Amino acid sequence: MKDIARQSMSIKVESMDLLNAQIKMEAHASATYLAMASWCEQNGFFTSAKFFFKQTEEEREHMMKIFNFLVDTGGSPVSPEVTDINHDYSSIVDVFESTLEHEVAVTKSIHNIVKKAREIGDIATERFLDWFVMEQVEEENTIRDILDMIEITGTEGVGLQMIDNQVAKWID
Amino acid sequence: MNVIVQSTYYTLYQDTQQRCFFVDFGQKMVRMSLCQLLSLRQKVMSISIESHFDSDLNKHGFEVLMLCNKEHLFILNTLEILDLKRMVEQGFVAMGLSAESELVSA
Ligand SMILES: [Fe+2]
Ligand SMILES: [Fe+2]
Repeated sequence: MKDIARQSMSIKVESMDLLNAQIKMEAHASATYLAMASWCEQNGFFTSAKFFFKQTEEEREHMMKIFNFLVDTGGSPVSPEVTDINHDYSSIVDVFESTLEHEVAVTKSIHNIVKKAREIGDIATERFLDWFVMEQVEEENTIRDILDMIEITGTEGVGLQMIDNQVAKWID
Repeated sequence: MNVIVQSTYYTLYQDTQQRCFFVDFGQKMVRMSLCQLLSLRQKVMSISIESHFDSDLNKHGFEVLMLCNKEHLFILNTLEILDLKRMVEQGFVAMGLSAESELVSA
């Protein structure tokens, strides 16, 4: 019996489900960073706003990378529904702390898919995620550096505007 | 045509000549590509069976299932949905697209 299913699709459906969930998570991150850009613009943190406009684009690219992987492997990518985007932040520190939390959650989710792919012997998915694993190390590191800078600069007096100016260093 | 998997109400076939699949729904035989089968799986798996036991969430215990870009419409009851879920799960294991462990738990 010829294996038409295997000829049409080169990853496991369990991986496909998890990757579809990841597509949603990246879309949610993209939308969250857009909300943060809006908050920064409204509160006078114009450099930080630029930073988050760029992050928004990057998260969208992550989403499309996974989407296209599902297309390439014969899977069925699902266009995500994005809801519950928070627009309320108490300070610029709160914005960056939430960003780090978000990135850590994404890292955990990616690691979980890698582990599951390994468990079920889906080598293509496991290798595909290599790039994401390293990307997350970089993303977490960037936000941690910004939070360190915030701590050193302090939020008293002109501190907040100095913080915003320094964020420029992390926009390339 | 070869049988891939058979449940109480449904049968999944592979047609090697036509390079496609058929699902026998009892009343109707539906021809499907793998993409359409994946879409069936997506729809069936996202049905919350719990809502069938809550008269506020699902008053009559029926599900409307639209398949193959709205070409087919089925109205299925709780037992049929459960059976279809199992058929789809086991079908993907039998086709080698789903991990074996699911078969054990099914
Ligand atoms: Fe991302
Ligand atoms: Fe990110």
